[in-house]
Amino acid sequence: MKTPVPAPPVKVAGDTNVGKVRTTNEDSMIVDVQRGLFVVLDGMGGANAGDVASQMARDVIAEFVMHRRSTMPPRALLDGAIQAATQAVFNAAQAQRERHGMGTTCVACMVLDATHVLVGHVGDSRAYLLRGGRLQTLTRDHTIVEELVDRGLLSPDEADRHQYKNVLSRNIGARPETRVDMVELELKAGDRLLLCSDGLYGYASAEAMQYLLGSGDAPDQVARDLIELALRGGGGDNVTAIVLEASQPAPSGTQLVRTNGAVAWWQRRQRFLHVAKERGLPKNAMVRGLDANEALELVALNLCQAIFHDLEKSTGVNVWTFAQTLAGGWFERGGDWSALRGMMDILGEATRVVVDEIRTLDAQLGFLLDIAVSRALVVAELALGGLLAERLRQVDTELIQLHTAAQETIDVESLDETGDRFIDRPTIPFLRAERVITAVGVPDEVAGAIEKTLTIARARTSPRAELVKQVLTSLEAIATDGGSNFATAVLAARDLYGVRTVDDAGIMPLFDALDQARILTAAAVHQIQVPEPIRAKALRAISTAHQRLVGAATGLVLEAAAPYTDRLREAQQVTSDLRDRVAAAEKRRAELERRFATNVDVSQPWGSRGNTEW
Amino acid sequence: MSDRDMAAAVSVLRDEVLDTVEHGDRDPPGAEVFDALLRTLSIGGESVPGLDLTLHDSVARRLAWGDSEEAVLQDAELVFDRLLVAVDRAFRDPADQMVVIEAATQVAVTVARVVSLAAVSRATRDRADRLREEMSQRQLKEVLEKQKANIARLEDDLRSGFRD
Repeated sequence: MKTPVPAPPVKVAGDTNVGKVRTTNEDSMIVDVQRGLFVVLDGMGGANAGDVASQMARDVIAEFVMHRRSTMPPRALLDGAIQAATQAVFNAAQAQRERHGMGTTCVACMVLDATHVLVGHVGDSRAYLLRGGRLQTLTRDHTIVEELVDRGLLSPDEADRHQYKNVLSRNIGARPETRVDMVELELKAGDRLLLCSDGLYGYASAEAMQYLLGSGDAPDQVARDLIELALRGGGGDNVTAIVLEASQPAPSGTQLVRTNGAVAWWQRRQRFLHVAKERGLPKNAMVRGLDANEALELVALNLCQAIFHDLEKSTGVNVWTFAQTLAGGWFERGGDWSALRGMMDILGEATRVVVDEIRTLDAQLGFLLDIAVSRALVVAELALGGLLAERLRQVDTELIQLHTAAQETIDVESLDETGDRFIDRPTIPFLRAERVITAVGVPDEVAGAIEKTLTIARARTSPRAELVKQVLTSLEAIATDGGSNFATAVLAARDLYGVRTVDDAGIMPLFDALDQARILTAAAVHQIQVPEPIRAKALRAISTAHQRLVGAATGLVLEAAAPYTDRLREAQQVTSDLRDRVAAAEKRRAELERRFATNVDVSQPWGSRGNTEW
Repeated sequence: MSDRDMAAAVSVLRDEVLDTVEHGDRDPPGAEVFDALLRTLSIGGESVPGLDLTLHDSVARRLAWGDSEEAVLQDAELVFDRLLVAVDRAFRDPADQMVVIEAATQVAVTVARVVSLAAVSRATRDRADRLREEMSQRQLKEVLEKQKANIARLEDDLRSGFRD
């Protein structure tokens, strides 16, 4: 015989609200974790009788279960509790004229053991099960219309429109006894059960309820969200929800990192600071002038904290922000790269030491943390990379400006003699070293014309043509880029390229968008109200930007296509090696067969068959 | 300026835009781009499919002669840059400049598209060829296994009774 377990293997939370229309809450609930009993009751009847009925039923059920829990089988216990409540409410209704007709619905869940629950109900309060992301109703409303549907007298469509669809066929209190529908359910890890009154499902869509139940938030949060959902849906009735969650399966690696990993990391922050100090962080040029503890706190502790928060949330945003702030501030003060590199190395080493220590204590957690922390460090490096690219772009522009100024003053002939020429070396592999520089600085009036042109072009873009809009935005950035250098174009092209398959379906939309943007800008430039020479200059800047962008995008396509040729060559090499081995084996086999034939040459008489020894 | 005049005016920039002197009678790198531009200008805006076909043909010819896709792209880029400089100097009327710039941009985008398609086609061919290579490798491995078994058997036979 199964008896309800004292501490159910579930997490549970319940919430109730009077709603936006009613003045009293006629709903009641039982959330008794100790006895594994969870009940939602929705009272009905005038003159405040509804709340009396539901509260009376609640008290009777709770008391009944409390006293007979250990002596009765679960089904009989739950049925008995609901029958006792029915009797009590019926008697109370009969005793007082103004409470005549009061009653309540009831949906109850009793936890039987680690994997089983018993659900019983009377009326139209419901129980739902969320399993594998799908929400299903465990109960069938006891309404007159539902009964007619059950008997085949009404279709489900007719039932939805029926004027008596809310009239109950069964409840607690209308008669001295009632019939309780029960269902025993085997719970699986991660299942969620919802018990609720009609104030919830009557004012919230099943999809929204499913979404909230499946959100992964804690049951108390889900219960609150469900109530909020019903209130936003109108809140025309009292609303009550109890959410039960079966024990979760063993946590995934991500969850382990988010919980135990983050905690283990944070617990070792002093160790992290100590190692960073040992490795010489306070002596780094970036923190020169600061007290050692101040330096550690400012840099190492901040990173430690950023990693902790990123581990908790499985993101990299905190470390990214940390690295950007650290490096951005340093570069703004004119700091050099080597000091920053040294600082990052120290922090990286300290991180490794701490993770290795965690690994010696808990190999699995250490392994997972290693991956997560490595990711954080990569994120930091990426942030630095972004800043460096930006810095490189600025230096590039400055160099071009210097070069232009120098060209005007330096005697070119004397340079020819010494061979000491300024060479504009490309930083992008497929670009020519000797490419001409087509623009140095964009005057304000031209920049204004570019902006107007692209604004008009954007306005003419179809709302769904996101890629075209992205191209237009990129064009503006490149066209107004003073040095007209390629870094901006390459970065923009990388953004546009994103993740694409190397085939027509993957590549063509990109070039279609680039062509569409060309057509739009060519039309738009004729519509802006500026003098003709400015218009021509604006078109020239946009066209140059366009050429840069398509060039960079094509470079990315070539980059993506290159590995296929490499892999083919590798495969051809392997085939060639195999052919050589087959040829060698064939030679060996032929040699052996020749020797074998010599030894057992049956055409020879006995004694002359080679030098065989028998 | 009429379309024909415009094409003629741009055609005189050929030596300035392309390295014609260095390459003598042969077509200099990027000639296909310049010719496509002249064609676009002469008929007042080549249709995209028409331009695609013309450039596809000339780019395919260059690739067939052993030029890489990167080289084709570099040449197109150089032609574009030099053309813009030349147009700025050669045409006084901004409206004329704009006509050439628009055509040059159209050609640049089309070249990029054609080169990309060529690269994608090559990648597709390479992928198919690699699959064929892998199938051959499987067959060769089977043959090799059989040969090894034969060799082992023959060696055993020779060792066990038929010693040299």
